[in-house]
Amino acid sequence: MSRALVLFAHPCHESFSASLHQTVVERLDRAGWDIDNCDLNAEGFSPVLTAEERRAYHDEEQNIEPVRAYVERLEAADALILVFPVWNFGYPAILKGFLDRVFLPGVSFRIEGGKLRPNLTNIKRLAAVTTYGGTRTRAYFAGDPPRKCVTRAIRYVCQPEKMRYLALYDMNRASQAKRAAFLARVAREMEAF
Amino acid sequence: MRALVIYCHPKEGSFNAGIRDLVLEKLYESGAEVRLTDLYKRDFNPILPECELDIYLDCPKNQQPVEADVADLRWADTLVFVYPTWWYGLPAMLKGWLDRVLLPDVAFLMPDAENSDIRRGLTHITRLAAFTTCGASWGLTQMMGAPGKRTIMRGVRSICSTRCRTAFAAHYLMDSSTEASRGAHLQKVAAKMDRFVDQGRENLRTAQA
Repeated sequence: MSRALVLFAHPCHESFSASLHQTVVERLDRAGWDIDNCDLNAEGFSPVLTAEERRAYHDEEQNIEPVRAYVERLEAADALILVFPVWNFGYPAILKGFLDRVFLPGVSFRIEGGKLRPNLTNIKRLAAVTTYGGTRTRAYFAGDPPRKCVTRAIRYVCQPEKMRYLALYDMNRASQAKRAAFLARVAREMEAF
Repeated sequence: MRALVIYCHPKEGSFNAGIRDLVLEKLYESGAEVRLTDLYKRDFNPILPECELDIYLDCPKNQQPVEADVADLRWADTLVFVYPTWWYGLPAMLKGWLDRVLLPDVAFLMPDAENSDIRRGLTHITRLAAFTTCGASWGLTQMMGAPGKRTIMRGVRSICSTRCRTAFAAHYLMDSSTEASRGAHLQKVAAKMDRFVDQGRENLRTAQA
């Protein structure tokens, strides 16, 4: 059975993000995925890269020690699904910290002959499910940093066969119907994942 | 000029600390009033928790948990960010400062009956700068879309004054930097800061007087 790591980064269980998260988990489960459900807030993940970790960052023997369990979960996954709200033009800090602390040299990438090489090629499916308060235009003019981070930086280190960036923009004004349509779209995409 | 410097690096003695000191020196030289916030030193908590999200739209109650930061932000007319770029973006600690402090009614105004879209809330900020270091090359950073730079120079910029003056400099390929490359970068930062605070005009004014 293929394993999917779902990273969820919203603290409120009654939020729309939580509904998206629930849909993702249910539909993946129905499609036969073995799910590793990682709710970063509930697990009390610390997003702060410490001075010690910074010092050992490039030491591939040492650097994974503080986050070994998370590295093992990442390496055991065949699919990675990020479920998060966009806050102030980017990921919530708790998810950004997951990249800072767990996507380490020797884990997500390696340096070969001075060149960056992908190292998370075990991840064959990559998806992001997200919501933006502002409009797509607004995000576009800011360069849409979270979209770029997923569809370029994370995609590069995973080299997945399939990638989906599912985003609902303009959440501040989204009607019930629009939200329901987005939930349905996420459900469809996850079942076909 | 009232400058708020937001500094984010875990190691004292890092190159970023050198950039911070240079920025501070240039600000003091220009006669600016300066406030520095050192996020790691403060052990700032970057997680926006459930209890703060519950009151997120409840202004001004939403500002209580980060009152001092909001006061600094309202006091300032100039923002300078000094940080390392990790994973093409801001360190989580700094991203969390944006998450928790750039609140509705502080940094932006939510849509209401008269206004259909989000409006700027930092219109008193007339100068915005970011100085950073990147492990990646310039080319790779551009290929990835430079999410860190864009978060500040486009995202935060979009809620500041429309006539906001900006400055940005990054030292790329930081892990293979040399004493010479770091020295050259500090000179670049110094020159950018001089233009940023309009030191040239200040010097001229002093000379004329």
